[in-house]
Amino acid sequence: MALFGSSTPNNNPQEVKNAIKLQLQQEAAMANARSLIGKINEHCYDACIPSPGSSVSPKEETCLSQCMEKYIATWNTVSKAYISRVAQESKRLGGQENTIAMNSLAVAPNDQN
Amino acid sequence: MDSQQQVDISKLSEADKKELNQFLTSAAQKSQIQQTVHHLSDVCWKKCISGKISSGRLDSSEETCATNCVERWMDTNLSVLKHLEQLRGN
Repeated sequence: MALFGSSTPNNNPQEVKNAIKLQLQQEAAMANARSLIGKINEHCYDACIPSPGSSVSPKEETCLSQCMEKYIATWNTVSKAYISRVAQESKRLGGQENTIAMNSLAVAPNDQN
Repeated sequence: MDSQQQVDISKLSEADKKELNQFLTSAAQKSQIQQTVHHLSDVCWKKCISGKISSGRLDSSEETCATNCVERWMDTNLSVLKHLEQLRGN
């Protein structure tokens, strides 16, 4: 897979720009998802599998899905609290240019809620 | 990587490069914020979610705890900076 690659070579500046932006967004979204999954794995393993048996029991399975939803809910709450605090602090310091960009970040890693 | 398929950035105008630069800067900033949120979620999960997990939702005390956790973390952050500033002044 070519970095910034596309199936057809093109030289149209607009297409070049869009291709780079799209690639960048995808990479960032992937990295974000990877971080989230890693943390969920870590915490939910701790919380739901205290003593690993020969297989995952139905009870543990239920715990894992609840834990996952709960972690994502925590992420969303934390994200909202952090972003609004940062916006508030930057406003206090007189800078306002980042506030709009910050607000656009106040979205979940997924849109299921 | 097939070099023929690589996009030729050198053909872009200065304005285009500037636009991409801004795009990159804001994407990096967004990433930075998301990383902090990941870190805080980790910290606040440990502090606020203890005991058995019996629901996929946050109950109201957990929700309050998570919000307080973030707010106090920010307070700590600012307080450390403030104190450092004072130390530097002496």
